Amino acid sequence: MRVIVGEGSCGIAAGAGKVYSALEEILNGGASFELGITGCIGMCFLEPIVDIYDGEDLAARLVHVSAEDAERIAEAAQSGSFAGIRDLVIAEDDASFLSQQTRIALRNCGIIDPTDIESYKARGGYQALEKVLKTMTPEEVIEVIKVSGLAGRGGAGFPTWFKWNAARDSKGEEKFLICNADEGDPGAFMDRAVIESDPHNLIEGMLIGAYAIGASEAIVYVRAEYPLAIIRLENAIKQATEAGIIGDNIMGSGFSCKFRYMAGAGAFVCGEETALIESLEGKRGMPRLKPPFPAAAGYQMKPSNINNVETFANVAWIINNGGEAFAAMGTEGSKGTKVFALTGKVRSGGLVEIPMGATLRHVIFDIGGGIRNDKKIKAVQMGGPSGGCIPESLLNTVIDYKALSATGAIMGSGGMVVMDETTCMVGMARFFLDFTSKESCGKCVHCRIGTRRMLEILTRIVEGNGQEGDIELLEELCNAIKDGALCGLGQTAPNPVLTTIKYFRDEYEAHIIRKQCPAKECVNLLRYHINPEKCKGCTMCAKKCPVQAISGEVKNPHEINQNLCIKCGQCITLCKFDAITAE
Amino acid sequence: MSEIRIIIDGKECIGNQGDTILQIAEKNGVYIPTLCNDESVAHYGACGVCLVEGEGLPKLMRSCSTVVSDGWVLHTDSERVLKARKVALELLMSDHDGDCKGPCSLTCPAGTDCMAYVKEISKGNYHEAVRIIKDKFPLPASIGCVCPHPCEKECRRQYVEAPVSIAYLKRFAGMRDLEKDTWTPEIAPDTGKKVAIIGGGPAGLTAAYHLRVKGHAVTIYDAMDKMGGMLRYGIPEYRLPKEILDAEVKLIEDLGVVMKNGVRIGEDMTFEEIRSSADATILAIGAWESAKIGCAGEDAEGVIGAIEFLRRNITGDPYDIGDNVAVVGGGNAAMDACRSAIRLGAKNVHIIYRRTRDEMPADDEEIEESMEEGVAYDFLTNPVQIVSENGHVKEIKLQVMELGAPDASGRRSPIPIDGQFVVLPVDTVISAIGQRINAKGLDVELNQKGVIVVEEDTFRTNLRDVFGVGDAVHNKTGIAIEAIGDAVRASEVVDSFLKGELKPFKAPFVSIRKDMEKVKAELADREKVMRIQVPKRPAEERKHDFKDIVIQLTDEEVQNEAKRCLECGCHDYGECNLIKCANCQEICPDRLRGEYHPGFVETKLVTIERNQKKCIMCSLCVRTCDEVAQQGILGLVGRGFTTVIKPEFNDPATIAVCKDCHKCADICPTGALKIIG
Repeated sequence: MRVIVGEGSCGIAAGAGKVYSALEEILNGGASFELGITGCIGMCFLEPIVDIYDGEDLAARLVHVSAEDAERIAEAAQSGSFAGIRDLVIAEDDASFLSQQTRIALRNCGIIDPTDIESYKARGGYQALEKVLKTMTPEEVIEVIKVSGLAGRGGAGFPTWFKWNAARDSKGEEKFLICNADEGDPGAFMDRAVIESDPHNLIEGMLIGAYAIGASEAIVYVRAEYPLAIIRLENAIKQATEAGIIGDNIMGSGFSCKFRYMAGAGAFVCGEETALIESLEGKRGMPRLKPPFPAAAGYQMKPSNINNVETFANVAWIINNGGEAFAAMGTEGSKGTKVFALTGKVRSGGLVEIPMGATLRHVIFDIGGGIRNDKKIKAVQMGGPSGGCIPESLLNTVIDYKALSATGAIMGSGGMVVMDETTCMVGMARFFLDFTSKESCGKCVHCRIGTRRMLEILTRIVEGNGQEGDIELLEELCNAIKDGALCGLGQTAPNPVLTTIKYFRDEYEAHIIRKQCPAKECVNLLRYHINPEKCKGCTMCAKKCPVQAISGEVKNPHEINQNLCIKCGQCITLCKFDAITAE
Repeated sequence: MSEIRIIIDGKECIGNQGDTILQIAEKNGVYIPTLCNDESVAHYGACGVCLVEGEGLPKLMRSCSTVVSDGWVLHTDSERVLKARKVALELLMSDHDGDCKGPCSLTCPAGTDCMAYVKEISKGNYHEAVRIIKDKFPLPASIGCVCPHPCEKECRRQYVEAPVSIAYLKRFAGMRDLEKDTWTPEIAPDTGKKVAIIGGGPAGLTAAYHLRVKGHAVTIYDAMDKMGGMLRYGIPEYRLPKEILDAEVKLIEDLGVVMKNGVRIGEDMTFEEIRSSADATILAIGAWESAKIGCAGEDAEGVIGAIEFLRRNITGDPYDIGDNVAVVGGGNAAMDACRSAIRLGAKNVHIIYRRTRDEMPADDEEIEESMEEGVAYDFLTNPVQIVSENGHVKEIKLQVMELGAPDASGRRSPIPIDGQFVVLPVDTVISAIGQRINAKGLDVELNQKGVIVVEEDTFRTNLRDVFGVGDAVHNKTGIAIEAIGDAVRASEVVDSFLKGELKPFKAPFVSIRKDMEKVKAELADREKVMRIQVPKRPAEERKHDFKDIVIQLTDEEVQNEAKRCLECGCHDYGECNLIKCANCQEICPDRLRGEYHPGFVETKLVTIERNQKKCIMCSLCVRTCDEVAQQGILGLVGRGFTTVIKPEFNDPATIAVCKDCHKCADICPTGALKIIG
């Protein structure tokens, strides 16, 4: 039998490396089973995950595995009897996280060995490229993509065929195809998973795109914060080059394409395509004015096409299965599937790929298992710093570019952060503005100073210094920044503020007028209080208070000096009698 | 190249294929503000000030970079454009940590550019200094003598050691310029419009000067024998030698201003006669009556108002004051009265003031000098009764006071202490507690206090062609430079009125540094240079005559004093494109006030001083250095709000590369870069 350890970044972070080492040691000691790795299956909440295969069949999926479990896993793999590891086998409920998904972009993730081109080929890898190169014209390729309805998965949702066509039609000897793998939204990790788990799928999609537009070089711009993705991509490029898939006269077709990657320097704004191009050229990552669009004058002012990782990850599948098969999934305006990184207060977080048209509620409750600790859901944040909040009342909204935009949020690249009743929406907006204001490239006034001023206003609100008129001032700033900022980063930066004001204005008002935080998250607006009825005078809180703000006699109710209290929350955690509350 | 036609703000504009909106607008004389664009470098799109809206086009467009399509209909002033631009300008100004003008200039009621003339004085250019002063008013030497200099109270040099002696510098320059080759303005061609000014005091003279310079025919009517108003008849000779005033009045007359003295309205001419003789009439009658003390017995012989007392001394008809004089009041008129009384030979002169010295409105220097001359001060006393004998004052009964809680103005109110009184023997009581307006004969609307009612930003009375300035239009009597300030602003309004469209006065928006603690900290390591003491004749000598008390300083002393100026204002004000844009629509950056981006002033540079605090990150310097000078020395460093332009000039490697071409400083749209070498 084969024992496969899930070694995506999340698996490794949870301890998959140690599990693998332990198994390897047993193997080296003379055990008889095969050991291998795979990428990320997308069930972050169950990592580390180990799969046992019998031939091509998955015999058992083991979750929350630790190095100590290695012996019995090896035992089971050798004996074929899983009685000793029954406690590790994934629960049925958890397994439904996967079974409810439809995987296209992620189809190989967590299944193949991402470090081995043969593993990819065994699942039909590079057949689409061969078909394209040997049997299709570039125009036919673009037509298939057009029929599929594939739209840019980076967030804007622009039809992929249109961009490809524009780049193809653009005059120029030399053209470039660029992959935007600068996935910077907090909480988003779809692209990382694809590169770490299925790098050849990306390469294949890009080569098909390069053929379609007539590019002579394909470049992946990947963020440097993804070291494992870079290692696996580099390895895959090497393997594909050796296999004659990259380089001159690919598969004897006469089509030649160079392929390389470049690691970004950690600037969020480089996810904006023109800033990405500047960075690629070795300049400071600052957006260019459009027009000209990259299709006309992009990298080195030559025709260039840029798509993100997930977009390319769908391409080979579409070629193999036909545009119609892809277009059969989804809604009128949004075709195929979409990958989401489900995080936040949801019970089961991870990667979710589902057909367009599913409701948010389905994703969060049916697949994600609802809210942790049975708390009440308040909202879901879509699209990261450029996106917005969708309140519980709109959870029946379907996943569709238009429908999501109508709420004030956006589809985005796939970040989906679930928030419960303990999340302060003003604080949440402030978090995103803190992010965008720091990540602004500093070029245009609306973004550089505007987001900073918004952050300052939000900060004073959560600190209890909000003033009457602040909400209106924020709205005015938001609208002016949307109109005046130079690039997408600035133009969308107000979205988290606008949507939270739209749906949670009462929370803003509570902070400003009553100086209260309904979610009890804003420390400055809280007062800790000891209920004398409940306090037994155990002195525990007084002893542990880091600022000696609590006083009282043994066996008598204690008191908190509000002037000293720093609201660290230690006393609440310590108190065994639930006597301390924060209001 | 094919021609294209578009409409901007309703105006047809013609340009060529490939033109940007900005280019086509410029060709057709339409102004679109922009801060980061210059034809010499590639467009950049940072400032967001040049946004315009196109009909049927969803997004606002940057004029600097958007290539025009034939037939577009654009708006530079739609509500959406104005809002986005307003926010851009407010954001820029909220982060622009610089002063357009020095606090001296902003404080001067007439808006005199003190920093500029002090700088000229430091170089010995008195003529040029006078030109700068006369941009605002025509009496530099006279005002230099008498002004209580609010400018000096705000002078930031006080945070180092003491304010610059601005008023004295002005007096010195003014007097020097009177000696020879006196500066005089050019007069615009005759407009054919006539202006009548009633009252030849500082306000009337200033209004006459400005309106004459603008080409109008101006006549001043004044009740007294000579022009000058209170400068002549209120200020004693020892503070303002009248030959100085005479010389400055003559310069105004030489410009062609007709001066008619001895004309009392209602007696010699009626108001209607004067008004009908001119296209516009300005009332600058001042406040010439002393307020009553308001205590029993004040109708007795020997009680006199300060105004009348001072005037009689000056006109050679001194009042017989006897040995014991009480002056009631604590303002500058009280100072003039008590010091004049000493000079007239009174043995005991007392100031009766109901508060303490700290609350006295009079100039500190005057109080000091009066004390040196022997004036006694009875603080915290208030007259309650004037006792007479044979109809002439004999003594004055004073209620003893103490200070109570501060009032609305922040001054602590005096309250009587029950039963405590002091009696002072007196031969004369001079009332210097305030002045009243006498608008007799003027058929205009007055308020309850008898003050002429004018509209705040037009200075216009209830009569459409009659305007009012100076003390006559204020409830509280002011100082000369305040009346002059009225006249400066009103002359602009009157000029616009004469040209057919009355434009209310609007103070230009200026950038002002808000964080005084930061300013003080920046001045902490300045080398201290003591303020010059203007020498005065010894008290024992000066108290016996009315001659000028000031001893002139030398040129070197004066120039060294002027060199103490910190030059708080911006060298670029006047040229600054940022402030020009900031004034193209109503903005209020204070509502967005927050942190400033990090920045400092570098002076150890090649020959350029770089003030990052004023930098608006338009990157014109970076791009010019790169694209025009082909040096590429500068770049942007950091991210977000804390982005700055670097590398620092003082990096030895950079200094080696820099060719000192000054192109960066020349193109800087604001005062962040200054050529110092």
